[in-house]
Amino acid sequence: MRENDPNLNSSRRDFLRGSSVAAASAVLSQSAQAGMEEIAAAEALAQQEPAVAAGTVKVSLQVNGKPMTTEIEPRSTLLDVLRHRLDVTGPKRVCDRASCGACTVIVDGKSVYSCTTLAIAAQGKEIRTLESFDTGPNSVPHAFHQNDGLMCGYCTPGFVTACQALLEKNPNPTLEEVRKGLDGNICRCGTYVGVVKAALEAAKAIKV
Amino acid sequence: MAANSWPEKTRIINTRYPRLDGLAKASGRAKYPSDERPEGTLFGVVLYSLHAHAKIKSLDSSAAEKMPGVKAIEVIAGPGKTVRYHGDDIAVIVAETEEQARDASQAIKIEYEHLPHAATETQAMAENAPKIVNGGNVRKGRAQTTGNPDDGLQKADAVVEGTYFAPVITHVCLEPHGLTARWDDKNHITAWASTQSVMATANELAESNELPVTNVTVLTEVMGGGFGSKFGADIWGTTAARISKKVGGRPVKIFLDRAQEHLAGGNRPSVLAKVKIGGTKDGKITGMIAETFGTGGVARGAQFPLPYVYSLANYKREHADVFVNGGNARAMRAPGHPQGCLVMESAIDDLAAKLGVDPIAIRKANLAPNDFRTPIYLNEMEIGAELIGWKQNYKPRGSQKGVVRRGMGLALHQWGGGGANDKQVSCTIFADGTIELKSATQDIGTAIRTVLAMIAAEVFGLKPTDIKSNIGNSTFPPGQSSGGSTTTPSMSPPCYNACLEARDEFFKKIAPGLPGNPAATDLSLVDGQLLVKGQAAMSFKDACRKIGMNPISVVGKSSQGLASNGVAGVQFVDLSVDTETGVVKLHKIVAVQDSGLIIDKLTWESQVFGGVIGGLNYGLFEERVVDPISGRMLNPDMELYQLAGASDIPEIICHAYEPDDQKKRGVIGIGEPPTIGTAAAIGNAVANAIGVRVPTFPMTPMNILNALAKEGKA
Repeated sequence: MRENDPNLNSSRRDFLRGSSVAAASAVLSQSAQAGMEEIAAAEALAQQEPAVAAGTVKVSLQVNGKPMTTEIEPRSTLLDVLRHRLDVTGPKRVCDRASCGACTVIVDGKSVYSCTTLAIAAQGKEIRTLESFDTGPNSVPHAFHQNDGLMCGYCTPGFVTACQALLEKNPNPTLEEVRKGLDGNICRCGTYVGVVKAALEAAKAIKV
Repeated sequence: MAANSWPEKTRIINTRYPRLDGLAKASGRAKYPSDERPEGTLFGVVLYSLHAHAKIKSLDSSAAEKMPGVKAIEVIAGPGKTVRYHGDDIAVIVAETEEQARDASQAIKIEYEHLPHAATETQAMAENAPKIVNGGNVRKGRAQTTGNPDDGLQKADAVVEGTYFAPVITHVCLEPHGLTARWDDKNHITAWASTQSVMATANELAESNELPVTNVTVLTEVMGGGFGSKFGADIWGTTAARISKKVGGRPVKIFLDRAQEHLAGGNRPSVLAKVKIGGTKDGKITGMIAETFGTGGVARGAQFPLPYVYSLANYKREHADVFVNGGNARAMRAPGHPQGCLVMESAIDDLAAKLGVDPIAIRKANLAPNDFRTPIYLNEMEIGAELIGWKQNYKPRGSQKGVVRRGMGLALHQWGGGGANDKQVSCTIFADGTIELKSATQDIGTAIRTVLAMIAAEVFGLKPTDIKSNIGNSTFPPGQSSGGSTTTPSMSPPCYNACLEARDEFFKKIAPGLPGNPAATDLSLVDGQLLVKGQAAMSFKDACRKIGMNPISVVGKSSQGLASNGVAGVQFVDLSVDTETGVVKLHKIVAVQDSGLIIDKLTWESQVFGGVIGGLNYGLFEERVVDPISGRMLNPDMELYQLAGASDIPEIICHAYEPDDQKKRGVIGIGEPPTIGTAAAIGNAVANAIGVRVPTFPMTPMNILNALAKEGKA
């Protein structure tokens, strides 16, 4: 274990030369166990032969509980495949650079920026967009609607999805936690007041 | 027949009502123009200049044309043409997939002759600046003079000289400019456009394709933001339509990428103002001399109102437009007013500090005595001061000590927001109980769809969700373009009149067939019921069955007395500044805003919050950063072009100033006023907190620390 490493106070050059920067950060992070698991996964992946995809490839994606198949270039993003091939147009393309959150999609329970996720890398995973969310009186979309957490609405799918993912992980967020949880989404119309109200109300309404 | 006033007591109008399209938007079901993908859609990509100023010597698209999937390439700036800013259009490439179109765009071989550029105001105004436009880079307008400003300054007890600056900012519409155009047959076009004017876009597509305008249908069910930048088809739209025809009518979809959206989608001109302002101990401004500049890009002006709000007897103002190799300005939410406001409000605030006059008192001292806005300002200032806690927490500029200093500031603004009187709304009552409103206006997020339904619901004794509010189609009765905060006042009167007339015709039609043979005037509609002489007789739906085969259809026009023009508005800001890091922490913003009679209080409030947040961005975060050496914008993205996120938003108190005399003014627009004064108020609060005027917006740590350092040296 690195805590007992007599070189722990060694030079920065030594530190960077070390076998795994992840190990050091894991020791420093709160969840050493999670860090060790990450290292193990990364090392296992490094042992595999890389898959090479060229030309066009067939992809099968599990979207909102349905299998969807299409043929795309390997470089196509999950966002572009959803929008341009599969008619799943809820998530929007705004920055295309993982800066604004309009493309937020939930993959295996985690909210991700689909604009910087390769479609081929999303195979075998559970992909959820807001079109599959409950819209009843105890839902996130309903709360956004009632609290006017939207104006032009173009950022809204991203916010609703990020909010849904947040509440699935943290059903009772404080105001601060809501703000931080939604800091990955940008709105130009300025609906943050309604959005935050909606998120807090949805948290109360959802019996998760 | 037409109404001249709104009802005294209302059931739906002037209440908080959720948007009709709110759940569709919040569940991802609303289809935006950029979502539409009719069968056979081809994807178009725009190739634009990476150079600030260059002549195109040669352009070879032969390799690109042969690439997989490419269907058409159209050159916009060919050999011999000059591209004049980073982002200027060169060509459009259309292919089966967007990836293929992008690849092909990179295969177009272009030879450039680089020309000297002047990409910043400083470069363009320099002694030996390259002349980048005919007539010179700096175009001076005629000086406006009132009274004797030199004399006025002489008579002042104190004079303040200051230079104030705010940079160009871009609209950052989240949905980029663009449309999908399809030739339905040899003579008809349908286009799904992200636009603030379906009618103007249809006109442009018709003209550029030599079609009667009735052969073009532009559809904008919803759209992802315009803020003033989307009033036509633009070259991207007309090119899409032209290419669609070339490829046999297949839909061609062209939407800008984020970078070009920043570079060429429009912007708010910058402002540079050198102001000398003087006044007497009672706070009265005795004279002001201002020399102002600004850039609206390579081919647009940068005018703005100054003096602003206040009544000055003696002033001189000279303005010059500066042309730079940069994207052209387009109208942006209250064009000119945020700039004029921040100059005027900074100057008057600096004067107040020098005179030792309270900031609120100096505003009061300079309001026009006989202007209709003055009593509104006085009331709004009183309300705002109360809500921000001015009495308890305001301290004079420079009195705060310590590292983290708290401060307060205010700003006054004004706007028009009146309506056009030539717009129309049709109201049709069908035998199955459906009521449909139609007009060629569009809901850009401002909730006009819901507002119209609320008016109809009021008239017919129904709920807004019972009404089909059908807009966003250029072939419907002439509707208002969504600009100038004129949509609600333009559309509400014809909607109201159409519904009233339709209801009258409905009563006249069905009365004779009712038991007891009542007169039409004996009928009324309340809570979904038809009342005869005050007694519920049957449901509205059942009553509609008596209409028969022919629906009742009326096209309503405008009338006097239902809308007005001219609003005021006051905002206060409470914040703290860390004088070591320069970071600003907003505590509270108070916005007191009048706008006549408010139809939907919920969506109105959202517009006020949204405007304040837009102004907050202008005051603290956003700026177009241009590299003088390459002439390029360095932050055409959404990471380095900084916009507030959820954690940056303080408590915002929105107070609707709506006493009875305001309600009697009828409907006035709200989209723009609330964004005008926020940045100015933030600037004033920062100055109040740190004891020093920060002359450069946005109030970033760099600009604040620079101002502190400069003062330390002085």
